[in-house]
Amino acid sequence: MSSAVPLTPVPLSTEEAAAMSQRSIKKHDVAIMLVHWFNAATWILEVTTGVALITSRLFRVAPAWYSDLIGGVFGSRANLLKFHIALGVLWIAVLLPYAIFGFRNYLRAEMLNFFERDDRRWLVIRLKMILGRTDEPLPPQDAYNAGQKAFALVVWTMVPVVGISGLIMAFQLFSTTAVGWAVVFHYLAVGAVVSGLFIHVYMGAVFPEEKPAFFSMLTGNVNELFAYSHHFKWWRKVKLAEQAHERKQSPGPEKVP
Amino acid sequence: MAMTITRRGFLKSAAAAGVAATVAPASAGAEVHPPGWSGAARVDKIASNCDLCFWRCGVLASVADGKVVRVEGNPAHPQNKGRLCARGNAGTGLLYDPDRLKTPLLRTGARGEGAFKPVSWDEALDFLAGKLREIKEKHGPESVALFPHGIAASFFIPLMRAYGTPNIGMPSFAQCRGPRDVAYKLTFGRPVGSPEPLDLEESRLVVLIGSHLGENVFTSQTTAFSTALARGAKLLTVDPRFSTAASKSDWWLPIRPGTDMALLLAWMNVLVTEKLYDREYVEQYTSGFNQLAEHVKGLTPEWAAPLTDISADRIRETARAMGAAKPAVLVHPGRHTTWYGDDVQRGRAMAILTALLGAYGRKGGMFLPTSIKTGGFPTPKFPVAARGRADGAGGRFPLAGEEEGVTNGLVDATLSGKPYPIKAWITYAQNVLGSIPQQARTLEAIMKLDLMVVVDVLPVEQTRYADLVLPEATYLERYDPPMVVATAKEPFISVRMPAIKPLHDSRPGWWIARELARRLDLLAWFPWETPEQHLAKLVEPTGVNLAELVATGAVAFPGKPYLEDRPSDERVFPSPSGKIELWSKQLADLGADPLPRYTAHEQPPTGFVRLLYGRAAVHSFGRTQNNEPLHALMPENAVWLSTATARAWGVADGQRIMLENSDGVRSDPVLAKVTEGIRSDCAFMAHGFGAHAPGLRLANRRGTSDNALISRVSVDPLTGATGMRVNFVRPVRA
Amino acid sequence: MARYAMVTDLRKCVGCQACTVACCQEWGVPAGQARTNVRTTPLSGTFPDLKSTPMVEQCNQCDRPSCVEACPSGATYKDAGGVVQVDGGVCIGCGFCLDACPYANRFINTATRKVDKCDFCSPRVVRGEPPACVATCTAHAKYFGDLEDRGSEVHRLVFWEGARRQETSSVAIGPNVYYLGKPELVALAFSSDPPHSPKLLTAGQALNGLVRPLVVGMVAATFLGQAVAFFAQIHKGEGDSHE
Repeated sequence: MSSAVPLTPVPLSTEEAAAMSQRSIKKHDVAIMLVHWFNAATWILEVTTGVALITSRLFRVAPAWYSDLIGGVFGSRANLLKFHIALGVLWIAVLLPYAIFGFRNYLRAEMLNFFERDDRRWLVIRLKMILGRTDEPLPPQDAYNAGQKAFALVVWTMVPVVGISGLIMAFQLFSTTAVGWAVVFHYLAVGAVVSGLFIHVYMGAVFPEEKPAFFSMLTGNVNELFAYSHHFKWWRKVKLAEQAHERKQSPGPEKVP
Repeated sequence: MAMTITRRGFLKSAAAAGVAATVAPASAGAEVHPPGWSGAARVDKIASNCDLCFWRCGVLASVADGKVVRVEGNPAHPQNKGRLCARGNAGTGLLYDPDRLKTPLLRTGARGEGAFKPVSWDEALDFLAGKLREIKEKHGPESVALFPHGIAASFFIPLMRAYGTPNIGMPSFAQCRGPRDVAYKLTFGRPVGSPEPLDLEESRLVVLIGSHLGENVFTSQTTAFSTALARGAKLLTVDPRFSTAASKSDWWLPIRPGTDMALLLAWMNVLVTEKLYDREYVEQYTSGFNQLAEHVKGLTPEWAAPLTDISADRIRETARAMGAAKPAVLVHPGRHTTWYGDDVQRGRAMAILTALLGAYGRKGGMFLPTSIKTGGFPTPKFPVAARGRADGAGGRFPLAGEEEGVTNGLVDATLSGKPYPIKAWITYAQNVLGSIPQQARTLEAIMKLDLMVVVDVLPVEQTRYADLVLPEATYLERYDPPMVVATAKEPFISVRMPAIKPLHDSRPGWWIARELARRLDLLAWFPWETPEQHLAKLVEPTGVNLAELVATGAVAFPGKPYLEDRPSDERVFPSPSGKIELWSKQLADLGADPLPRYTAHEQPPTGFVRLLYGRAAVHSFGRTQNNEPLHALMPENAVWLSTATARAWGVADGQRIMLENSDGVRSDPVLAKVTEGIRSDCAFMAHGFGAHAPGLRLANRRGTSDNALISRVSVDPLTGATGMRVNFVRPVRA
Repeated sequence: MARYAMVTDLRKCVGCQACTVACCQEWGVPAGQARTNVRTTPLSGTFPDLKSTPMVEQCNQCDRPSCVEACPSGATYKDAGGVVQVDGGVCIGCGFCLDACPYANRFINTATRKVDKCDFCSPRVVRGEPPACVATCTAHAKYFGDLEDRGSEVHRLVFWEGARRQETSSVAIGPNVYYLGKPELVALAFSSDPPHSPKLLTAGQALNGLVRPLVVGMVAATFLGQAVAFFAQIHKGEGDSHE
């Protein structure tokens, strides 16, 4: 194995690629994975029930029969709302401690370095690629590509809005005006996240290229080849850290740099 | 000993007393769950009557888990038939008022400081009995005056009379109905009574002169009034203010205050001279017509017009309308009639008018009461008071009755020490600072007393000045003597039974009176142990099934309301002559006018307006201002000022102003209601507000007190009644 | 199916507020609030030619209620008897319906912080009892019944006695509370507090006019975007993978 860690991605030989594809790098710890799937399940149920709750012609996004159907599942609209609130409260109860105590997990440098030049170019090129308009290579990305970072941004800003506005509506907090506006912001925030979710779910679960990403959320690991090709900057950090770690462990014969 | 009875407890003991209890109670509960009370295993509906005012409509109190959750009208009650006014519906607001008196209180600081310590009932009653014995020895029992009010007064009155004092002062006479009842008794041989025997539903023309029905709400009378209007009766309202009744009237006569007598006499003039009176009726039933005709000859509408500020045409037109509608013309006798000091005479004029129209004892007019014979326990005669009454009733006020007395006469006696000193006052359900005018004098009198005792439900204004305060249970927690109402087309007996046990450490009036009697060795006048026994004895002669009475709340009997129902040999008019006395010999013998005469009353000086007062539909006098739901609907009163007056005073609608009267007495700040609906020579406010009662957290100092501004009274020489519409007010310059 | 309605006879009503207190007591409405609105009209005219009348209002249980549409959660709806109900279990207290009512007969109950209003005492009516206000009215001024029942008092009063409903040229949503009385006084009662066109709170307007189109647009765009990408992916085959 070459101990050189390149600065930018270099084309790999088939042997190197094959070797890399056999090796794994840990990407997500257990907490992140559990929270992710918990969120996924909760959001599916909450969006399903939430959309059913909006019946007024002026505001609805689903037809009347949908509201009746989902309402029927719960017996009454009151029960439907109770469920939506109970699950929402549970969601907040799980997320809040994680948000407070686990921030080191998610507020990492590679997530916070929003929209460097590489990210901006990546977004533009990626969009062109979808439309089949370019063959340009994508700029190297960190642990999370620009698209993922953008979605994270949406989630981090919108989730508190969803949660707080949800609580205001559930418990008639502050004032009637507050509840009225909570309806608006809850609607908007959920809409923003759902829009992002379409991309997120497609990219994660449907788009074949990102399959390793999907499985990383189940196993916690990605294969090194995927990391090298899709998240080079992160691969590089991991490699450098590995080497530094090895040097510390066995300060034996000098390694050739 | 049982202090209170529940309906079931009553029925058990009634059965024990040998009375058949075969009828099931009104509602056995369980099957009906009132809305919002799911979880209550059982709801009982207890039949009783209301005490938020003095009409005493039948109510049903719903009790769930020991709590009264709803008070509503009792459909089975013959008087109100299930209907109930705002105050009646707010019964729980009184029952659960957090400011209620909760324990007996004994004064610790100086009188008026309001510093008390809670004591036990034994301690309180022993103290009171001791004091009464002491006063009896030192000053004689007549030196104790009782100021009662309400139904349970009938426990306290015999107690004090047995103790040896004749001095009873109820404001219902000298501050309210006295002049009217005396006037109608002089004319027809019987007082008007309460509830008034008015055949409103059958009227073709209702005449309100001094009545603001609709703001003065008595449930059954409001029903009858509205029914009359819906059936096409015409309405004539004489009122300086555009009242609710005025807004429904075919004629509204905005009369100059103080001149009603002139209008009444002019109406009589028209009826007599145009021969519109009921001639047959007058011939058959009345005496003194010729003197009357002579008396009103010159008192034409033209004479009355400048005095009353009502056009002669209008006076004539309305008199003719009465003549056309007779005998189904209801001249409402009014209720609070203590206005200008000549109030007996004004009442006489109204009685005479009624008689001229042939409306007394006739359909659509005033019907005759049918008495119900009730029973009682044999008790010893009351001791004769050696020094006689101190209030002047029957003496300097020849036509004031013994039963209700003259409250202000007692205040006079306490202040002057004549005819003999009054050393102690006991009040029961009467706030003397609110009920009696000339508050400053009343307060001065209280401060002179050796003993001031207050028996009440709430810490009203006078409570601060008491030496001993005894907390009574509310009407929903106590037995009171039943209402025996003869002045109904079908007379009835209506019971008041407790729905729950007394809250806090309060006790029913009957228990307080009886316990005091026991300590004073006066139990001979209370020869019953339980309310059941008391009630059973009372209704015994009627033959009513006691269980049925208690279960339904009231039992009605057949009535004979009209003259045509009475046998021809019956003495229908119990006057001395047996006829309706248009010309009153009794008055002549007393040196008073045998026929009513117009007296000009003082008009407001420049810059002043006359202060008028009255009722509000959601309050009862000064009793309900602390009742939360009623307080929410009307937390304070406002002073009605005409737009012209307001302009002259520089006052805007909704502005808070202070008034001062001719004696320089100042009101608390009060909202001004600027309106076209009142004459420019008077102002109006609802009575009962502005109490300085720190214990009443909602009511304290909200609005202003009309009573505080009534520092002048015009005393009716015949009855001692205090005419109170003789005060003038102007704004206080900032 | 029934069509419940109320008729108030303004000739008889004296504005005594018995109905208000009975209703508040029956339903536990906090002091200071009420499902009824009893008032006396301002005086019309000048002394001594004056006109005024008491007036009683409560939810009109309209034929075409504008409040129902304004409710985002469907908590308010018209039931089989024509009564406009508010399901407290579904109401979130957002207040959109308040201004949507032209008669301002809905309010936020300060104890529950949710919408409250007259429901013609539905639980009582189900038990065969009249609404509390009708039962207690001291003036016997209120009538309640089913307009579809030809034998009912309200049917007679509305269709034969000329009881009028409070509608204007701009607000005609079919209120089911009618009024009897002297024509000029009924007119005065109506004109002194006329209904306003149904309005939506700013928040509701923002939701309907701005946020909903925005969200629908965003969601549609991303969904379509992914659909396009999906079809592109299928079209290209699996060969596009970098693996």
